Amino acid sequence: MTVRRVILVEDDPDDSELFTIFCGNRTDIALLPTVGNGVELMAFLESTADYTQLPHLIVLDQNMPRMNGRQTLQALRENPRYASISAVVYSTYADTTLIQDCKNLGAKMVTSKPIDAEGYRKMMDDFLEFV
Amino acid sequence: MMQQTTDELLAEIENLRARLGEAEDTLEAIRTGQVDALVVQGSDGHALFTLRTADHSYRMFIEQMTEGAITLSASGLIVYSNSQFSSMVGEPLSNVIGRQFSDFIAPSHQPVFDELFKKGWFENVKGELLVKKGDTVVSTLLSLNRLQLEDEVAISVIVTDLTAQKETERQLLLKNQQLELLNQALIDSNHDLQQFASVASHDLQEPLRKILIFSNFLKEQSFNDLPGSSRQYLEKIISSASRMKVLIIDILNYSRLSSGDDLTEEVSLTALVNEIVDDFDLWISERQARVEIHPLPVVEGNRGQLRQVFYNLINNALKFTSPDKPPHVVISCTPVDPDTQGGLPPQESAHCSIRVKDNGIGFDDQFATSIFNLFEKLNPKSTFEGSGIGLAIAKKIIDKHHGLIVAQSTPGEGAEFSIVLPYKRQ
Repeated sequence: MTVRRVILVEDDPDDSELFTIFCGNRTDIALLPTVGNGVELMAFLESTADYTQLPHLIVLDQNMPRMNGRQTLQALRENPRYASISAVVYSTYADTTLIQDCKNLGAKMVTSKPIDAEGYRKMMDDFLEFV
Repeated sequence: MMQQTTDELLAEIENLRARLGEAEDTLEAIRTGQVDALVVQGSDGHALFTLRTADHSYRMFIEQMTEGAITLSASGLIVYSNSQFSSMVGEPLSNVIGRQFSDFIAPSHQPVFDELFKKGWFENVKGELLVKKGDTVVSTLLSLNRLQLEDEVAISVIVTDLTAQKETERQLLLKNQQLELLNQALIDSNHDLQQFASVASHDLQEPLRKILIFSNFLKEQSFNDLPGSSRQYLEKIISSASRMKVLIIDILNYSRLSSGDDLTEEVSLTALVNEIVDDFDLWISERQARVEIHPLPVVEGNRGQLRQVFYNLINNALKFTSPDKPPHVVISCTPVDPDTQGGLPPQESAHCSIRVKDNGIGFDDQFATSIFNLFEKLNPKSTFEGSGIGLAIAKKIIDKHHGLIVAQSTPGEGAEFSIVLPYKRQ
């Protein structure tokens, strides 16, 4: 079974904990340490010198300080080193504007944050389809 | 006197004869109506004599006009004026006739008048200018027409008082400015509402979602460890939080309907309704419900919004069911009879009437209108879940599509919702 490296970009400690609880125990995922916003993500990617160690999937929250989901998508797209990494957005409330904006910025999928374990499992299955 | 010679007397006679001839000519001119008034150069300026002529009735007509009417001689002298003009300039008629018309023009508009007066001899001209009235000025429109009399020319001038018109224009400008201010206030208020909606969408849902997810988490992990009453409390927390989530999303959808983004496309209602009914597949088979979909038209509209309307109606039809009979929902359409459209000549129908009919619990017909109000609920929450927003959303969407939605029902026998929609949007 292929194990994909996944990194969560999330500033909310509760959400970050829930994500780790529900997705961290999956055998098809290697969850990298969570970063708090887009700026931290870009710094982490820069520090990953080995190209082969970059994440397969970036899961972005939308509302974050310093660099939010939309801005992070933009930054990823502008850098050829990261442009091919699959990025998805999950937000408390995914309205049509957010979905359209993020898709235009290259997000593979935009969805609302789940409210139970089953929701997390299904969301992650959907996300991995794009890797 | 006695020393006057015969020659002198003859010359005197000749002179008197000439003056008599002149007087007779004048009389003749007066009789034939060629002359309105005589201006005679006297020692203390011009003296004027007005006449009653054969066109007296015409003169009366001029007198009754609401406009000022004057006649100007070649030198710009007022040889005739109706009383309206004299009251316009606030002077007795006797002070008006025989004066230079330019005496009544505000100094700042003198060049305008000179120009008009110059052109007026060749063509009919109009111009707006200020006329003096005592210490004030009156805004007027002058209309100059060349008059060809028997052996001389004159200019007739119609003077229209623009005071009322100017006042109306001023009022209009004022009202427009007020309207603009109101409009801006409305735009601001709309913007605030949008801001509120966006705050509600995220900031209210964030903690709510946490309540839901941690309650679910608790339930999944420790439900069996909890005493019976605590399990019940936990269930209540989860169902209340779920309800609030539905409410918030519905309110957001409702408020978002005002914000435009009106994407209009051709929508096949048959495909749309089949799609929705598919979503209710499980529910329908569980309750052994029957949903009949008759042929539905293609209409122009916003697909997402129309989907919302039919989703809400079908959802209601499947929700408010009688416990004693299997649910039966019929969705059908008929064109609206063109003959009933205000007696217009028969033509192809521009509207269709779509009905969603069920055999559920129905409602008392006195609520047929209020049922579309925001948060209006006819049934206790304990028996039927809902936010009370669904039909309000449906009505708002149909309104936006220039359609009509009405409800009718007999309690215990079912409800019928009729939507009249134009095939083409605008």
